[in-house]
Formats: sequence, C-alpha cells, structure tokens
Amino acid sequence: MKYLSEYRDGDIARGLVQTIRSVTTRCWVLMEVCGGQTHTIVRYGIDELLVDSVELIHGPGCPVCVTPLAQIDRALALASRRNVIFTSFGDMLRVPGSKSDLQQVRAGGGDVRVVYSPLDALEIARSNPAREVVFFAVGFETTAPANAMAVWRAKELDVRNFSVLASHVTVLPAMAAIVESPQNRVQAFLAAGHVCTVMGWTEYEPLAEKYRVPIIVTGFEPVDLLEGILLAVRQLESGRHQVENQYRRSVKREGNLAAREMVSTVFKPVDRSWRGMGPIPASGLALREEFVAFDAELKFELQNIAVAESDRCRAGDVLRGHLKPFECPAFAGECTPESPLGAPMVSSEGACAAFYNYRRHRTADGLKR
Amino acid sequence: MCLGIPGRIVEISNEGRFPMGVVDFGGVQRDVCLAFVGDDVGVGHYVIVHVGFAISVVDEQEANRTRELLTELVRPGVVGSAAEPGINRLARKPGLL
Repeated sequence: MKYLSEYRDGDIARGLVQTIRSVTTRCWVLMEVCGGQTHTIVRYGIDELLVDSVELIHGPGCPVCVTPLAQIDRALALASRRNVIFTSFGDMLRVPGSKSDLQQVRAGGGDVRVVYSPLDALEIARSNPAREVVFFAVGFETTAPANAMAVWRAKELDVRNFSVLASHVTVLPAMAAIVESPQNRVQAFLAAGHVCTVMGWTEYEPLAEKYRVPIIVTGFEPVDLLEGILLAVRQLESGRHQVENQYRRSVKREGNLAAREMVSTVFKPVDRSWRGMGPIPASGLALREEFVAFDAELKFELQNIAVAESDRCRAGDVLRGHLKPFECPAFAGECTPESPLGAPMVSSEGACAAFYNYRRHRTADGLKR
Repeated sequence: MCLGIPGRIVEISNEGRFPMGVVDFGGVQRDVCLAFVGDDVGVGHYVIVHVGFAISVVDEQEANRTRELLTELVRPGVVGSAAEPGINRLARKPGLL
C-alpha cells in the first residue's frame, strides 16, 4: 500500500541500521513515547539490531494502559446498567478492572458495543432514542479531536441520550514527568508522530531546551523509527538538543489547527491520575462547562469510586521505563493476554503485549524467541 | 490507539455542512470524517486516518523527498551489504498493523 510498504523496505532499513552503527560512539538511551512505536520496534526486532548503539526504553504512550482503574470500574458500572448501551474502542474490552472487564460484563448480558469511530457511537444514540448511549472517550491528543467532534455534534444535533466517559490524557506533561524523575535515564525522545500530527511540535521546544534532550517527531513504520533513531543519535553525538521532525509527510510545525480548535472548544486541561504513574498536573482533558450535559460521570453520578491496584502487577514500572516487560515476575506466567493482571498485557499498544506476542516468552532457562 | 493509516480519498460528500468522504485503504473502503482537513483535500488525495477521522493530508513532496534521501543512503557503495539476519524480517509485508 502506498505510504506504508515503502517504509517497510528491507534495503533502506539495512542501510539505516549500518549508518546508525557507524555514527554511534557509545550506547545511547532513547525512549519511544508511543505504544504503537513500541510494537513496531519489538515486532521487527529493531532493538535487537541496534543492541550496541541504542537502548530503547518503552514509553507511557498507551492510553488504554494509563486509564485509571477507577475509570475502568466506572465503565463497568455503566455497562452493567440495563438501559445503557456502552460503546468503546475494541482495545478497552479486555482491560481488567478491579473485579471484571467489559467483555465479561457483555457476556453477563450488558449491552457493550465496539465502535470504529466515536461518530458511530453517536449514530447508535440517534437510532436508539429510548436508551442511554455512553462512549468511553479515552486517548491522547490524536484521538481527542475525534471524541471532541462527537460531543460537539451531539450538542449541535441535540442528541440528549448520548454522553461520554472521558479519560483523556496529554503526552507532554508525561514526558516532562519522565525527564524530571531522579531515576530518569532517557537521553532523547522519539515523540509520537500522530499526536504531533494534531498538536505540532512547538510545545516540545521548551522541554528540549530546559532538559537539553533531543526530541524527534517520529512515525510508526520500521524505516520511520530507524530514521528517527538516526536523527536522535546524530544530535546526541554532536551535543545538540533540538526538536526535529522525521515524520514530515504527516506533521507540520503548527499541527492540525482545525483539530486543535475543536479540542479546545470542547475540552479543558485538568489534573489527571495516570494508571501506574500517579497524578500528573494538567495532563488530562475534561469537558468544558458548555458540554457538561454530555459528561457521563455527572449524568450517572459516578464520581466516587476508589479502588486499589493489584500489587502483583508492575505496570507502573513498565510505563515509566524502569522495568522491561519480561523482567516482571508475573510476565508470561501469572500474567498473559488471556489472563492479564494489567492493561499493558492486553492493549494493542501495551509494551507487555508487544513482548508477549512477538517473541519474548520467559522460560525457566531465560528468554526464548 | 494512536494508529493512523494512510488511504486515498475516493468520494467526498457533505451532509449539511459536515464534510464526510469515502477513503480506500488498499481495497477496503470506509466512511471518514474530513472536517479536520477541510478545504485542503479532493478525490485522489492521500490522508492519514485515525478512528474514522482524517487528521492530515499526506505531503507527497515530503514523502518523495524522504524516499529519495533514504534510497540514496542504501545506494551501492554508500553502505556495505553485510548480511543482517534480523533485518530480513523487514522485507515481509504484514499488511495493516
């Protein structure tokens, strides 16, 4: 397919790997922010090819993984209600809440439906005026414009049986929290190309300057990631710390202005707690006052749910880059995609799922490919 | 979740003032909201689509320029041709991720 297959070209990738090796004088520590990038890296073995040149730490860019447990439990409570049609992206269905998951609620008779687009959820609401339709609005800046548009459109069309359970997060405050941590080892970021497609990269410039950390806006195919790594390594080797754009075919400096405007019309920044990372100031998006009629938490009075995380799941350490998935004692034993302890094992962007699915099952004698 | 797939616009429609279109992804066609790429697109343009919304128009000039630069990088003589067992996996075409 055009604009996909050429970025999976083995010859170009081979050339990039050799170039990266030839310009590297030491092993640099890079973090790819987005879980989609993690999956490409693990799937194609990019980390193994560059083992002496770069260490890739997998970042927190998995919205499913960082959605707080309490919010999953709110989703489960809503989905169990008789009059509710609960709609969600497919990724959320198997994320474990404190007692169950959406798939089990569906098996028990809950009306849980997977949608491709938030506009599909709105259409379900318009076709079922006697029922309440709730959409689980999770995601980063990439998804926020689409979810904002669904709410904006619901207001415009006066669809009163539609609401959203919003759990939006934004990636820049999380990147700042990572470099500010005393345990930080990250020397350069590969920023998430689709987040930047929406937001541009101007907001990264102060971060790069303050922490003297190169930030490369990077795409998702293997050639994109290798070129992003090369640009990062070149900066590190020459002592620079700038924001550079590898994903030029999609990302402009100012981002997508129409999408950004829709997000700021419907949402406002709020403090948000990240599953595994804890509270991060101004790292979430909540509905503005004009749109609170579409806030499922208020509509169904769900605010007060407090739950404790399992102490057997080390997802927080994985999301902060302190632990590789296969270093977790539960990995591939107690915790598998069939029976997950934490969200990173089930999400298509989760680092644990990437390692489990693509190669690295731990056995008694170590790692087995 | 931040998955974005490039596809070609094959149809544009306006439901009221709400711009929608049909985008072809290598034979699979889907309805896509074009509100965020607005006046920049027409039939035949490639867009990056995320959860049913076009979030950018693929910049063909930039894509071509990148491809030329990267192809130059692997021109014989620019880099060696030592076998890389792991990289052979890159040659496969897994289709949509």
